[in-house]
Amino acid sequence: MTLNVTISDKHYNQSFQLTHHNTWLLWCCQLINIGCLASEISRWMLAILALCLAWQALLNIKKINNSYANALNSQTKISPPLLTLFALSGCIAIGATANNLGVLISMVHLLTFAYVLKTFEIKQRKDFYQVCLLGLFLLASALIFKQDLLFSVLIVFALILNLMVLLQVSTPTQKLLASAKTVTLLLAQSSLLAIVLFIVFPRLSPFWQVPNSQSAKTGLSDEVSPGDIANLALSSDLAFRVDFNGGKIPQYDKLYWRAMTLENYDGRKWSRRQLENENENQNKLFLSPKLFTPVTLGEGLNYNVIVEPSHQVWLFGLSVVTTDDPNLRLMDDYTVQSKTVLSQISHYELTSYLESPLDLSINATQKQRNLAIVKGSNPKLEKLAVELQQKYANPVDRSNAILAWFREHQYFYTLKPPLLINNSLDQFFFETKAGFCVYYASAYTYLMRAAGIPARVVTGYLGGEYNNTGGLDNNVPNAIQGGHLSIYQYDAHAWSEIWLDGIGWQRVDPTAAVDPQRVESGWSNDLLSQQLSLNNDFFGLSQYRKMAWLNAIRLQFDALDYQWTRWVLGYSNAQQYDLLKRWFGGNIQWKAAAIVVATLIIMMTLFIVLYRVNTKLFKRQKVEPWLKLYQQALKKLAKKGMVKPDNMSPTDFAIQVNKQHPKIGKPFTELTTTFELLMFKKLSDKQQVRYLSKLKFQYSQFKKV
Amino acid sequence: MSVFSSLYLVLAKVLASVITQPIKSFISKRVDRWLSKRVPSNVEHKLTSRNIFIMPTRFGFTYLFFDVLLFLLGTNYQNNTILLLSYLLASLFITVMMHSFYNFSQLTFSSSPKQFTFAKQQAYFPLTINAKKIHFDLNFLFSAQKKRSITLEQCDLGTSQVLIPYLASKRGVVNLGRVKVFSEYSLGLFITWAMLDFSHQLVVFPQPKKLNNSHNYLSSLEGDDEQNPNIVNQTSAGTDDFSELKNYVTGESQARVAWKQLARGQGKLSKHYENQQGSLRWLKLSNMPSFDIETKLSYLSYLIIEYSKSGLDYGLFLDVPTSVENKNGAIKIMPNSGYQHQQACLIALAKFNSHEVG
Repeated sequence: MTLNVTISDKHYNQSFQLTHHNTWLLWCCQLINIGCLASEISRWMLAILALCLAWQALLNIKKINNSYANALNSQTKISPPLLTLFALSGCIAIGATANNLGVLISMVHLLTFAYVLKTFEIKQRKDFYQVCLLGLFLLASALIFKQDLLFSVLIVFALILNLMVLLQVSTPTQKLLASAKTVTLLLAQSSLLAIVLFIVFPRLSPFWQVPNSQSAKTGLSDEVSPGDIANLALSSDLAFRVDFNGGKIPQYDKLYWRAMTLENYDGRKWSRRQLENENENQNKLFLSPKLFTPVTLGEGLNYNVIVEPSHQVWLFGLSVVTTDDPNLRLMDDYTVQSKTVLSQISHYELTSYLESPLDLSINATQKQRNLAIVKGSNPKLEKLAVELQQKYANPVDRSNAILAWFREHQYFYTLKPPLLINNSLDQFFFETKAGFCVYYASAYTYLMRAAGIPARVVTGYLGGEYNNTGGLDNNVPNAIQGGHLSIYQYDAHAWSEIWLDGIGWQRVDPTAAVDPQRVESGWSNDLLSQQLSLNNDFFGLSQYRKMAWLNAIRLQFDALDYQWTRWVLGYSNAQQYDLLKRWFGGNIQWKAAAIVVATLIIMMTLFIVLYRVNTKLFKRQKVEPWLKLYQQALKKLAKKGMVKPDNMSPTDFAIQVNKQHPKIGKPFTELTTTFELLMFKKLSDKQQVRYLSKLKFQYSQFKKV
Repeated sequence: MSVFSSLYLVLAKVLASVITQPIKSFISKRVDRWLSKRVPSNVEHKLTSRNIFIMPTRFGFTYLFFDVLLFLLGTNYQNNTILLLSYLLASLFITVMMHSFYNFSQLTFSSSPKQFTFAKQQAYFPLTINAKKIHFDLNFLFSAQKKRSITLEQCDLGTSQVLIPYLASKRGVVNLGRVKVFSEYSLGLFITWAMLDFSHQLVVFPQPKKLNNSHNYLSSLEGDDEQNPNIVNQTSAGTDDFSELKNYVTGESQARVAWKQLARGQGKLSKHYENQQGSLRWLKLSNMPSFDIETKLSYLSYLIIEYSKSGLDYGLFLDVPTSVENKNGAIKIMPNSGYQHQQACLIALAKFNSHEVG
């Protein structure tokens, strides 16, 4: 029992002091809370925060030393003017950089800065509570930027730590582990209602426009020069996931996820043409935009795409794509765009008609655009093109001749190509002969254009990792059904399209001629080890592939993360409506309210039941082991008709048993003697253990009789 | 302008005293009446849903506001994880309410209702707590004296005792009113409290004030002889002059046993002595060297303690000065010695001409 007399003015205004270990717990908690946001905070701010935390740590050490030396009232606080000056200069610095950082990130800077500074002046309980709430708010704002499963789990751990700091104030005597247990219990008990609220609570549309993060754009860009996609190839970040809703997944080499077509070439890089219906939407917002509706043939393939935030508008689909989603826009080059920048994980549903042709006829300007080359920029290639044009009358033969050229002339697919002067395709084609997809696509497209065939470069992703770990169809052998595809940034790819009369735009992937494995099943081990060496990543992709068990875990986690993304992050207003309608039919609002109330009641009853059980368990634990053994012995005797009256002492009872059944009486008397010793004598711990083992032995002897 | 504003201030104060004061006192009276019906006075109280009150603290309300803020943040960003977090924190609020309640319930308190102390000295009321499980963060204070609280950080199984402090400022008999027991376990979101009435009464003795030459203040009761012959002719059991032998009663001091008679075989007898009337064994209020009655009582308080220490016999005579309105009449306590006698005298001092406070 710990007694603490506080004689003070008022409960709330009393001078408030944290215990030593709680001070450190708060410090750790701050470190973790800021760590959750670290990737969003600029370097200079991180330096300031680190400085503050280090200072805090020093003060903590000083405070503890002082209290051990019983010298109170020494300088364990910073003087308020200094703190104000520091705070002001920090705020000015944040204000000055606000233009670069954007509103949201500036707010995050301000929040973290306030959070760290406030800790310097915890004088009252009120201040402490403010710090705690600020900490929780930091955790919540970290979720704006990242929401994947791993990060969410991290946030839950941080939440437990934050609540532990709060709990320690009212239970300073509790051990940290016990506090963690209590908080986890609290959260576990709360989770039921939280989940129900999540499912049934009406989801509202945003109340006002909020600043979005101006994070760097990730993924593909609308300009590509040889060398660009290699950067993406080094990244193992997730780009998007595709779920074919249990349908059959096309083969790997059919999974060309088109993002954009690059039709302009300036001699160095390929870039995107401003599309017609794109312009219209931007300029005449209120006029109905000219909708592009592709002609479709054959059977549709329906699938859902879940895109990670890329802060761009490009979306990915297998051509020819159609959709009913009002947030999407179909472009006249058969690509799909989102109407808003993708700053959150988003879902969309597409239907693809893989057999449909693209643009059976093109007009003169289109043709011209896709034949344009910068004359004289790559003279050797132009010469080769003219030769080919003369040699092969059929455009398909011309194309095949180039592919055959790639195959026969020992071209080499590598992520580490030698540098090209001025991005010269001549140099690549005739001298270095080493590069990756963009090199081949560029050279091929250039050659095709020079040879009089309309051609363009297309960028997007190729393939994807099939994962059916969390799926239900595990027992169907070799089924490419169920599960999902994960497409990573290293799956980024560039290929070509040539326009052929009567066929339309035909996809040609020159990479297939150089490294067939890349196109048919993904990265070869050679490429993987290259990626690893370029990446300096300890757990590169190749590492995973080598260790099967590790890869299994990774796939398992990917499946979990997918479910999380799909069911939790992707739970939208429409999904909620569908779900509730399916479960409860009409009158959803009333029923939802009833469910919330019912859950509340269930939660409370569960709590009470748990509590009752807990106290019973607690009482049972209080029974000493020797008493338990003795009672078991008594039960055994009672079965034989010898019941011990409540008021009879154990010794007397033993004598009585001895009289009736001398055979049983002997071991029972021995047992009783040891029991009495344990029960009524004050023994040291060692003696207790010794006698207890003796008692156990005697009990086993007794049982034999 | 300043005249107007000051006028306005004065007006506001007057209005406050005219309107809010009576309302406040009315409400507190009603609450008291209701409390005394719901949680009547008792020596022992068990905390159940009948006498436990629970309310969110200021932090609790701030937390709720903050949770709404999180909900807005989640809604505006259409961010399901933030929404989930806000729902989790909201239901945590309810869970914490239950935990706070259960941390507080099933405690049994008992306390003895009467205590003695000197004025301006801390008095401690022992409160016995009987717990069937571990409880955290129990705070105790007298609702009459909110500034002094005592915190029991962890209350283990079984019986434990806390001392609730009370600082008495004035001499008299004080009814302490209710003991407020409260807790802010587990996250400080809720305050659970109970107002327990043990009929605590504190008898506050006058604060002892030192007098030099303390032996000079004993006097006889000569002045009273003629007025009150009954008292004068009374004899009182004392220690000075031997008067008779009586049969020994168990519990009497061994010093009084007549050992000579015992040795002669006359049985166990005890010696009895008699104080002579009129001898200087009385502490008189009117003899104290002050004009203020409270100071006089303080001197008496000091003298009583001093005499008890040195084991002298003394009587107390609280004669009423003519100027003071007489309520109880003169109080006379026969000369004697010992702890019981000292307490009796001090209680007489405490109660002398005082109203019961509380």
